[in-house]
Amino acid sequence: MTASAQPTRTAHIIRTDAEAISIAKALAERFAVDASVRDRERRLPVAELDEFSASGLWGITIPREYGGAGVSYVTVAEVIKIISAVDSSLGQIPQNHLGVLDILLQTASEEQKRYYFGKVLQGYRFGNAFSEAKSKNAGAFETTIRFDADGAQIDGEKFYCTGALFAHIVPAVAVNEQNQAFIAFIERDNPGLTVIDSWDGFGQRTTASGGVTLNAVRVPLSAVIPAHRAFDEPTADGPISQIIQAAVDTGIAVGALEETKHYARQSRPWIDSGLDHGWQDPFTIAAIGDLEWRVHGTEAILEKAGRAIDQALLNPNEDSVAHASVVVAQAKVLSAESALLASSKLFELAGTRSVLGKYNLDRYWRNARTHTLHDPARWKYHLIGNFLLNGVKPARHAWN
Amino acid sequence: MNALTQTAAAQPSLARSGNDLERARQLLQQTLLFVREQAQPWAGSGLAKASDDPYVISRFGDLQIRIEVAAALHERAEALRNAAQDPAEVSVAQAEAAIASAEALLAASNAEFELTGQRSPQLAALNDPLRWKYQLIGNYRLNGVLPPSLRSAV
Repeated sequence: MTASAQPTRTAHIIRTDAEAISIAKALAERFAVDASVRDRERRLPVAELDEFSASGLWGITIPREYGGAGVSYVTVAEVIKIISAVDSSLGQIPQNHLGVLDILLQTASEEQKRYYFGKVLQGYRFGNAFSEAKSKNAGAFETTIRFDADGAQIDGEKFYCTGALFAHIVPAVAVNEQNQAFIAFIERDNPGLTVIDSWDGFGQRTTASGGVTLNAVRVPLSAVIPAHRAFDEPTADGPISQIIQAAVDTGIAVGALEETKHYARQSRPWIDSGLDHGWQDPFTIAAIGDLEWRVHGTEAILEKAGRAIDQALLNPNEDSVAHASVVVAQAKVLSAESALLASSKLFELAGTRSVLGKYNLDRYWRNARTHTLHDPARWKYHLIGNFLLNGVKPARHAWN
Repeated sequence: MNALTQTAAAQPSLARSGNDLERARQLLQQTLLFVREQAQPWAGSGLAKASDDPYVISRFGDLQIRIEVAAALHERAEALRNAAQDPAEVSVAQAEAAIASAEALLAASNAEFELTGQRSPQLAALNDPLRWKYQLIGNYRLNGVLPPSLRSAV
């Protein structure tokens, strides 16, 4: 499958936070209709993504001085949560696009910002070629960038390239001889770029998070930004990257809880309960009460994380960025817990009939289990505790 | 509240969750201080200080999450009450804050015991059992049944 390097239609320009939320809600209603079928048949959401980016939601973080709405990250998280509640693959696909917009803001030249922000406001989508399956760890890169008189050449192999298959421009991370990371913006139809639809994970099935090969890819210097600077100095880029992941999982939790209530209402009463209806079951009722407070608590922390990011953007320094990382880590732990819990309790409270294939309700658990593996929650407890107990600030990278 | 509303069940109270939250924070501070200044590292860990122990560190991370989530739900319940929202929503939000705060206090008390070997006595609210708060929330969200304090007696 190939994508054209231009959007099929010009995007709407969103002006306010409230408009972003109301557009997200309207889109979610439409995306909900075929979400189960897309998952079951692994039908890639090409038309849905065109509608999603044409709505203007992919440009809402662009600052006002560049023509965007410069919305709060509380709003960004809410938008991703709303979409993910109905289709978490669709919710995840813009994650790296939004992350790249911030790296542009932090590290690109004025001319590059005007150019790429302008493209995104027209409806262009970025899709990442960042991670590598074969490097030592998530932050190590073997893909190289070599600068010469005519521009730069990029060579390497990428995996987990969420969004690349659907993108008009593929930003790829590559390191120079000094192991400094750059991002090259590669047009989707660049002859050296191949996007491979090889993602067959059991969850997040329609993210097309497969591979990308970069074979003597040539780009002009104007298409390269010094991405490493986003982490050399304290910026909100790590927390921005992470809050979107937490918002996806919060969305899964919200969606699974809604399904739980819907199907629990229809469940049969247990034989020993002496009741006429499943919804009267005192233990089911209390279990719903437990899920409710946990999901609401997760949403409340996600909102606080958005505010912490807004602060770090407004006033970037070691302390504001560390604080944002810590609160986002809390959101990450809670959202993973809530998504896994709600998507599993769904079956317990709705009963055996809820596992029938025709309902495809297991997609919530499959999506939760898959997406929460993005980075391990066990190290978030450590990050939070080390700051609290020992005053150690979180390492700055795209996973904190 | 009027003559037709019954008071058989205790009103979910923000005062209670506020108290639980405050005590949880105090226990956390005491335990942090103890681990920083007095705790011995586990001999088998090979570490010089208990505060370098990765399991102790992540234990505090977990505890802080429980406390922050309770604080966030407490603030949310306060905001809803102050905005004079739908009384049922306010009541449910207060019940959620009460559960989260009580859980945070229990978690803090367990962490205190585990990491310091001491357990500070905590007051229990036996007249206002937590288990019926789960029921209040669930019955409203699943079945649309109003919290007891808002139900008419006739």
